[in-house]
Amino acid sequence: MAKNVVIPIGPQHPSLKEPACFTITLEGEKVVNAVVGTGYNHRGLEKACEARSYLQDIYIIERVCGICSHIHSTTFCQSVEELAGVEIPRRAAYIRTLMAELERLHSHLLWLGIAGHEVGFDTLLMYSWRDRELVLDILAMLGGNRVNYGINTLGGVRRDVTPEQIEKIRKVVDIVEERNKYYVQLALSETTLAARLGGIGKLSHDDAIKFGAVGPVSRAAEVADDIRVTDPYSAYDEVPVTAITDNHADVFGRTVVRVLEIMESVKMIRFCLDNLPDGDIAVKVPRKIPEGEAFVRTEAPRGEDAHYVRSNGTDKPDRVRVRAASEANWHGMKHMLEGDYLADVPIIIAAIDPCYSCTDRAIVLDNHDTGKQSVIDWRTLREYSINWYKARGIDTGKIKIADSHLIF
Amino acid sequence: MSELIAEKKALSTILEKFPFLEGKIDVQRRQRIISSPMERPLFEEVFSFVVTDGGFNCFHLVIGVDDGENLGFIYVLSNQDKVMLLLKQSAPKSNPAIKSVCATFPNALWHERELVDLFGTIVEELPEGPTYPLPDGWPAGNYPLRKEWKVEYFDKINMTYNPPATVGKEEE
Repeated sequence: MAKNVVIPIGPQHPSLKEPACFTITLEGEKVVNAVVGTGYNHRGLEKACEARSYLQDIYIIERVCGICSHIHSTTFCQSVEELAGVEIPRRAAYIRTLMAELERLHSHLLWLGIAGHEVGFDTLLMYSWRDRELVLDILAMLGGNRVNYGINTLGGVRRDVTPEQIEKIRKVVDIVEERNKYYVQLALSETTLAARLGGIGKLSHDDAIKFGAVGPVSRAAEVADDIRVTDPYSAYDEVPVTAITDNHADVFGRTVVRVLEIMESVKMIRFCLDNLPDGDIAVKVPRKIPEGEAFVRTEAPRGEDAHYVRSNGTDKPDRVRVRAASEANWHGMKHMLEGDYLADVPIIIAAIDPCYSCTDRAIVLDNHDTGKQSVIDWRTLREYSINWYKARGIDTGKIKIADSHLIF
Repeated sequence: MSELIAEKKALSTILEKFPFLEGKIDVQRRQRIISSPMERPLFEEVFSFVVTDGGFNCFHLVIGVDDGENLGFIYVLSNQDKVMLLLKQSAPKSNPAIKSVCATFPNALWHERELVDLFGTIVEELPEGPTYPLPDGWPAGNYPLRKEWKVEYFDKINMTYNPPATVGKEEE
């Protein structure tokens, strides 16, 4: 008779990029129980927001997550704008939408690479991350940074988009669309990939609702819930959005949803560029926000992002609550893992596109040598990275890049 | 401008059953219905009704708030029309006991554990498991999201809370 074996994975583990603890109970190779443990990233972000002004809080909130930073700051700004009774200019709404869809592009391409890596398809990792770099360059051009763009402010956006920038965005979007056609073809017709991803990490339609799954995880189970459609914000009341759904309710379905969403994002970006209204990019918002409470939802790349902000009439919020998409998707993880094999665990976990910092809502930048906190700009970080590789005998300056990449 | 048809329909279903809640629960804006805080027996009755008969069968999260003498708990639910209901429960800080909703909504588990760790809430019938999100060794009786808990008095190296002797005592 087979004896159950309990395998603790994490919080520090070679196969995990971020800290979490999965206690997996196996019967042979089959998972019969799973306990998910997170909380290793908690830094008291919500408490920190209560001690700072609304404007300062944008910078904290933007750092909830490195990947969907823009959508977090958008949700927070919308909450405060709702409390203040402020309507942002249409141009600002379009720029927020443009940034959100560019963010979705880079997030989904990031996920596609990770998914490829987890199933031993590292060529897909190299391809999709190569393409993601183009999007990150665009985001750096627009906001000055690759992941925390600092575009949002209360009452609108901080930076406008120039005609020259629009042309560069168009070029990149054309390339990403062309390359993504290959990924769509791959996801829909490559038999090896379908065999590897199909039937694992099952979460049925009813279970997706029961466990409160959001975003591509729920849409892959035919739950047509996309906040951009059901509760439009920014410019989504004018930008045509199609909620992509699938009926496979497994990792394969989540892959299909994401690659097709990249195509939808491309369309939305083009619509924003073609229809970008003239006018101001921000309106003034009072420093002190009237008493009240606002609950706002947006559609992050990983699903519904919900913020609750309560004001007490001062310049600091009384309460800020962030419920990121990953926090919602973890609840069904135990159910998704049970009944599958140990070898499927990494890709099943990766398939919800988990973000641990989102779940625990925190970020801290520590200089381990001095013990001081600091923020590094992206040029310094890039320089540090180049020198790090040079010290190990790899000169990235000698790597030849195809002409099609040379947008900048 | 939307006529708020779905919102008013959902509200009228609740008010039909609990007419005395008139003025204490209302449509805040499109897709938002929000209530005033209710004490535990009434809250449990209303919560049970909106879930089973009111169509609010989708649970999103529960938000803890510090209301001074009381702790507040805002349960966010939605129905098929995507109307969000923010239903509030209130409990005194001296005995902040509420009942877990995990039996109905398994996705409430981590949110309720947060209420325990961050607000010192007593969540009855909460399934056993690891605490979340505070680390192992967190000093007992320290609830960081309560207003009286000040981050400047917390020694994060030694994990101890050291308020000045005068804090919490009446001035002589």
